[in-house]
Amino acid sequence: MKDYSGVVLTTPISMGYARQSPHGAAWFVGSVLREMISAAGLTKKDINGFSVSSFSLGIDSAVALTQHFGLCVRWLEQANVGGVSGILTLRRAARAVQCGEADIVACIGGDGAAHRSFEHTAAHFSNWSTDAAFPYGAAGPNGPFSLITAHYMERYQAQREDFARICLDQRYNANHFPGALLGHKKLSLSDYLNARPIAGPLHLFDCVMPCAGGEGFLVMSEERARQLKLPAVKILAADECHNAHADDPVQERGGWTQYIEGLYNRAAVGPKDVDFLQTYDDYPVISMLQMEDLGFCGKGEAPEFVGQTDMRFDGSGPGLNKLPHNTSGGQLSCGQAGAAAGFLGVTESLRQLTGQSQQNQVSNARLGLVSGYGMVNYDRGICTAAAMLQGVDR
Amino acid sequence: MNIKDKMRKRLKLSRPSLRARARPPKHRSVCGSQFSAANLPGVLQLQNCTDCGHVQYPPAELCGACLGGTLIYKETACTGTLLAQSQLHHSLWEYFKRRIKRAPWPIASVQLDVGPVAIVHLTELDLDTGDRVKVFSHSDASRSVVLIAVPAATDITTPELRQAVIVGMQLDKSAERLKGV
Ligand SMILES: [Zn+2]
Repeated sequence: MKDYSGVVLTTPISMGYARQSPHGAAWFVGSVLREMISAAGLTKKDINGFSVSSFSLGIDSAVALTQHFGLCVRWLEQANVGGVSGILTLRRAARAVQCGEADIVACIGGDGAAHRSFEHTAAHFSNWSTDAAFPYGAAGPNGPFSLITAHYMERYQAQREDFARICLDQRYNANHFPGALLGHKKLSLSDYLNARPIAGPLHLFDCVMPCAGGEGFLVMSEERARQLKLPAVKILAADECHNAHADDPVQERGGWTQYIEGLYNRAAVGPKDVDFLQTYDDYPVISMLQMEDLGFCGKGEAPEFVGQTDMRFDGSGPGLNKLPHNTSGGQLSCGQAGAAAGFLGVTESLRQLTGQSQQNQVSNARLGLVSGYGMVNYDRGICTAAAMLQGVDR
Repeated sequence: MNIKDKMRKRLKLSRPSLRARARPPKHRSVCGSQFSAANLPGVLQLQNCTDCGHVQYPPAELCGACLGGTLIYKETACTGTLLAQSQLHHSLWEYFKRRIKRAPWPIASVQLDVGPVAIVHLTELDLDTGDRVKVFSHSDASRSVVLIAVPAATDITTPELRQAVIVGMQLDKSAERLKGV
């Protein structure tokens, strides 16, 4: 696979997070665009590539938004792949810039949260979900993920206390990230364990809070970023694989296993070298699957791994092994803003690697791994993607 | 009453929680509706590919194995193995919200002996992973077909026996609005 040399990611924007919002998806996408071109010192005319990810655009598509926003672009993409939309988009946009098909690509994920909109999204998420998952209790994603979590706990003797490790350290990180919707609240082990049950082993703090919000970043040549004096991040390697291990009766691994070795080889680094890890945390068990499949520990070893690992951004926890994880609090503490949640790990990585994080800055963060997962088409998430990112020396 | 107040009242009255009777989710895709129609008679009818013999679920327009386009519904062995189970304490749908107020709602995933994995309503709470079960189809109170898993020893050979399971789960009825505060 050709490398991504000469291309960088810049100008991370996360904005508008709210539990409910009167605004639609277009408002969030357009507002991210406005913030982004202003932060980068650009005008709309400079943007000639546009990628949009959203669940709630309705009958509008990415091209409708170009007319809404007065954009004229020569490269257009709509990536409706939820939790991998950020990484999938950065891969495509980087190739477009590398091949000269676009100069600056605005990559944006955004979704609204109107009253009862989550119910509608869950009921009509996919044909298989509508026909064969939703009618069974109408629990939305909590249904399939309660089965995946129950299976993992039984097969690998995981306890709720193990999942708590992930949720508690993330909440600590969120307590230092002003954008996190739940960042103002502390979370203790007894809060976690005594939370009300939601579905099987899943309790309140294992589940993300659906919300509105927008996320985005710019992709351009390294040279252009230098001219614009924008702090930038390189893609050392990135990959994706969808619908892997389809014959596993219950999901306990994902497509990361199909490419992670090659990804580390191309990046010439390993899991021990990264300064932080951002996983897609729609449920803590899914972060565990990623830690295993991305090579931080073996299959079934994540409960032990998180027990020994301090996942706080500042290394202030008692664990001897240090691995800052979901350093802005992840979706579990920031909220899940629809398809923007697939961008959350990427934008947070960009802030960390360019020294733009505020109170939650990981010290000397140079190298970060970000992973995506998503799209519960029926009984499991079928998309996976991962990217190894490195800050560009300034 | 002005238009604004009328609209507000109409919105308020259309809230699912105010309905006297709530029913299970009715909506299905075209393939899902065909699955419901095919499953009105018999224990369990699944799509069989006439080209390669693949048995598939959830229903689709093409065979997921050979991409052949000729799929016919056939009576299929209803036996399987319990993969995972959980009890729902929260639902997005008014029917289940009302049912869950009385008791958590059990669901499971089952590996059918004929191949596919099915998410099902579960009747029995004392089952363990790996236990043998039978899965049968039932047209619920919304007239859409859902799958029910029972312990393998349960006799479900006649419509009357299957109906008795359904009545036991109160799946044949809508959920009434609970009175009081
Ligand atoms: Zn076939």
